[in-house]
Amino acid sequence: MMRLVAVELNRYRSRRAIAVLVLLTVALAAAIALKTAWDTRPMSQQEIATARAQADIQATRSDINADLRKCIADPESYLGPRATAQECRDALVPSSRSYLPRAPLDLAGTLEGNGLGLAVLVVALLLIAASTFAGADWATGSMATQLLFEPRRLRLWSAKAIAVTLASGAVAVVSLGGFWLATYLVAQSRGIGTSDAVLGDVGWHLLRAVLLAMGAGLGGYALTMLFRHTVGTLALLFAYSVGGELLVTLPFEGAARWSLGNNVFGWLEESLHYLSPSSCSRAGECSPLQVMTHLDAGLYLLALLVVAVVASAAVFRRADV
Amino acid sequence: MSELVIETTGLRKVYGGPGRRLVAVDDLDLAVERGGVHGFLGPNGSGKTTTIRMLLGLARPTSGSAALLGEALPHRLPQALERVGAVVEEPRFSPWLSVRKNLRLLARAAGVERSRVDEVLDQVDLRDRARSGYRTLSLGMKQRLAIASALLKSPELLILDEPTNGLDPAGISDVRALVRRLGETGTTVLLSSHNLTEVQQVCRSVSIIGDGRLLASGSVDRLLGESVARTRVGVSDPHSAALHLQEAGYTVVRDGDFLVVEGHEHPDHIARVLADHGLYVRELSAIRPDLEAFFLQLTGHSLAEQLSRQGTADGDDE
Repeated sequence: MMRLVAVELNRYRSRRAIAVLVLLTVALAAAIALKTAWDTRPMSQQEIATARAQADIQATRSDINADLRKCIADPESYLGPRATAQECRDALVPSSRSYLPRAPLDLAGTLEGNGLGLAVLVVALLLIAASTFAGADWATGSMATQLLFEPRRLRLWSAKAIAVTLASGAVAVVSLGGFWLATYLVAQSRGIGTSDAVLGDVGWHLLRAVLLAMGAGLGGYALTMLFRHTVGTLALLFAYSVGGELLVTLPFEGAARWSLGNNVFGWLEESLHYLSPSSCSRAGECSPLQVMTHLDAGLYLLALLVVAVVASAAVFRRADV
Repeated sequence: MSELVIETTGLRKVYGGPGRRLVAVDDLDLAVERGGVHGFLGPNGSGKTTTIRMLLGLARPTSGSAALLGEALPHRLPQALERVGAVVEEPRFSPWLSVRKNLRLLARAAGVERSRVDEVLDQVDLRDRARSGYRTLSLGMKQRLAIASALLKSPELLILDEPTNGLDPAGISDVRALVRRLGETGTTVLLSSHNLTEVQQVCRSVSIIGDGRLLASGSVDRLLGESVARTRVGVSDPHSAALHLQEAGYTVVRDGDFLVVEGHEHPDHIARVLADHGLYVRELSAIRPDLEAFFLQLTGHSLAEQLSRQGTADGDDE
């Protein structure tokens, strides 16, 4: 089996279209890391001076001062229950920080922004690569030739599945791991401290993203082995995604729970709140915002993967080639 | 009876569902003995490739049984294919890989020594293109690569499905020589072809298939012996001669200034009939029986159709 997996890994890396997709994945990670570093670069003296000057000008505005006086007089009516006068000052006194052109690097913020977006892109590219990997065998007809050398179909299917899952995982580790390592090192070099809790969140996010990439690779491969066509797989996934988003707009109980997009983000994000207005139709207190836990999202995605894998392997085992 | 390397009993393959059924192979009993080159002859669409695909596990039979090298299919297919090499239809490889890389991956998958790759490349005279990308090869070279891949496992049985399709005359000659050589050196070769000349030139025995059914099987010499004798007759008045010969019970067809006569036991009888009517023969030659005539006979073509087809084929044959 290991011999077959090695052969399939060789096929995976030898395919030019896959090499391009893998390079694109790594290049995207590098580009987004660079963009993150650039967008959070330290302020120049000129920028700090400009921000300070702008804050000073704002501090002289009569309307702002009037608001501040009102707030200090009655903080709770201005800022809500248990608000204090100090909170009024923090909120309403113009500060130079408010006028700085950009925010400093923050790993927790990156986790919800560029890091999340990159993870979704990497997963999508690796799914396409996996689909291309299987699709090429069917398009060229080389699947028949391969079966003459390994006629145990489930064995061949499994070897290819293992290879594509491992390769997807490796590329995800390199690209996403590289992104987070680079971002962390940039933060360190700028003297920005990162708490253990944030580092833990990043680590768990990275693990979930890599697992999702492996699952997407395996799923893309399984569907393409089933349809024998890359375009068929991508069309199905597109239709399913669009259908999922349409589902969200339907007034069914918990419809948004079953959207592919919500579940992908539910798996990747620390905590995803999704809108489910139908849950408020019941009597009593309720919130239209529902929480998607990692377990909810993980089970949903795993169920999809299991269906695709079982159908694909079963059909490949019996169907004419 | 010697050992059978291929044996099918009642093999049947039906494509499509109710209302759109296509019977590709129908109750086929095929037996190929070990040794030499065995032809698998039939026109395009007769079920040759479907039969081969079923033997190699690429298609599932609708019913019937088959065995390769004594191993019952499909349960013992992996064990059988360890000793079988095959080329099915056109060559199919990964186009982005080189010639050598394609073979190396297949060899590795089958647990074949890496050194075997260069040996088979030498065998098909493709060593100098080993580094070339598969997509840069001509059709003839791709066909040779396919044969090389089939030889990787040093097979006891080699199944070649139309291996000379698309080759130029030199390529055809090379492949036929290679097949003959393999047959002579202990490998049993099943050569599927629609080309009668090819089968007659290369094969020792043949199975003829039409509309998915086995029409005849046996040694080429025996089958040719069973074909109907025909004689070409040159005579001054072909019209009267044809009438007299038909009256005598022979089948006669005009072929230009000549007559082609069948249904006689010996050409002398024709000469005697014509002489009795004052017609003297200026040429009397036996038409050498060939597989094509036999095949056309089996498939129910009339003598006139056979002559017309042969006229076309003579022009086509390399």
